[in-house]
Amino acid sequence: MTLSADPPVKSGLDGDVALAAAGDPSAFERLYRTHVARIHSLTRRMLGTHEADEVTQDIFVRTWQKLGQFRGESAFSTWLHRLAVNVVLERRRTFAIQRERIADDPAALDYVTVAPARADLTVDFENALEQLPAGAREIFVLHDVEGYKHREIAGMLEITSGTSKRQLHRARMLMRKHLQGD
Amino acid sequence: MHEEWTDRLSEYLDGELPADEQRAVDAHLRGCAECAAVLADLKRVVARAQQAGAAPRPPSADLWAGIAAGIDSQRSAKPSGERSASDDAVAAFSDRSAEAFARRRAFAMKSRRIAFTLPQLAAAAVLVAAVSGGLVLKFAGRPEGLRYETASDNRRDAQADSAPGAQPFRAAADDRAAADVDRIVPVSMADAQYDAAVADLEGALKQGRGRLDAATIAIVEHNLQIIDQAIAQAREALAGDPANTYLSGHLVEARRRKLDLLRRAAALTSESD
Repeated sequence: MTLSADPPVKSGLDGDVALAAAGDPSAFERLYRTHVARIHSLTRRMLGTHEADEVTQDIFVRTWQKLGQFRGESAFSTWLHRLAVNVVLERRRTFAIQRERIADDPAALDYVTVAPARADLTVDFENALEQLPAGAREIFVLHDVEGYKHREIAGMLEITSGTSKRQLHRARMLMRKHLQGD
Repeated sequence: MHEEWTDRLSEYLDGELPADEQRAVDAHLRGCAECAAVLADLKRVVARAQQAGAAPRPPSADLWAGIAAGIDSQRSAKPSGERSASDDAVAAFSDRSAEAFARRRAFAMKSRRIAFTLPQLAAAAVLVAAVSGGLVLKFAGRPEGLRYETASDNRRDAQADSAPGAQPFRAAADDRAAADVDRIVPVSMADAQYDAAVADLEGALKQGRGRLDAATIAIVEHNLQIIDQAIAQAREALAGDPANTYLSGHLVEARRRKLDLLRRAAALTSESD
């Protein structure tokens, strides 16, 4: 088999990022291991436990595909995270979940009324998050967990900043009920 | 009621209210213990969210094998003339990762003694995805299908985990004599090999069908139908947009899911003995 020349390592990129962009799978695996916890946490919180593994894999496969487009103008972690958010939102659109995103769901209040045992606070926080209505949850995660601004969230989700603020408050009030025993 | 105030507490907390409203809420909070308590709770919620963001949790299983396989499938889709040395490195890497993953998976499943419930089976089909990179046990002349390896096999494999050639599945002790007819075939997503693997597993499932209850069969068939529809839709979409990498990935993923579901269902027939 005739092998073409590998692309040169891109200058201006840090170690493993540059190596991975040049096609080094070992370097890409190291990047995966460095960043998988944050990406998986994002997908799990945004989409739920059942989707998280598969979507995380999809995100890293796409990252490999798109590494050639990364110019190093932002931190790799920032670029990766934004790509991950885009994949998550795309996945939600694909399954038409977004249609229900802003729908009111008063019954959701009933889901999170049990105070957690103190020893399991972190897990219970994650569980409570997973039980939030989808629209409130994604805005809560993007704003309070991931640190995006309402303006940015509004752009990602194609909603108004006002809607983003209202959903955030709704999510916080639901989470507050859960954490009252804390 | 306090709602007119509590509804503004998130924006107050985030400093996003206009100055006059911020001052009004300030004044109200000084005289209203109930609203002040809600604000304190909201602060704790935000603090907890920030803590969670600062302490991400990794997945419970290593997902790398599926990623390596996904990368490999992209490489496989390239015309041979465009393959580079790095593509081949990815392929070799992917194969090793997939095999190691399959061994770990077999070990984990063995430790649980294959106690599939119907929802688990359905979930396995739809949600777990085929992250093993396409390793399938072909079993010539073994209508009883697959068995997962024994604990002693697992211990041995755990010691030899770094050996790329180690097999992820073995015949069970009572079938040990027939082990020589079992072999592991790495299945690429190329049509001929994939179709052959699917046909083998469908045959095994058909033969073992009598060992499964009707509800299980219904779930398997229902999920196969869903996956087949997804494959057909992806193929149709790709016909109109052959360069679309998302659609390509979606097709590969759906095909893997089908392989994984068939593999699990075939294994279930043997476990039902």
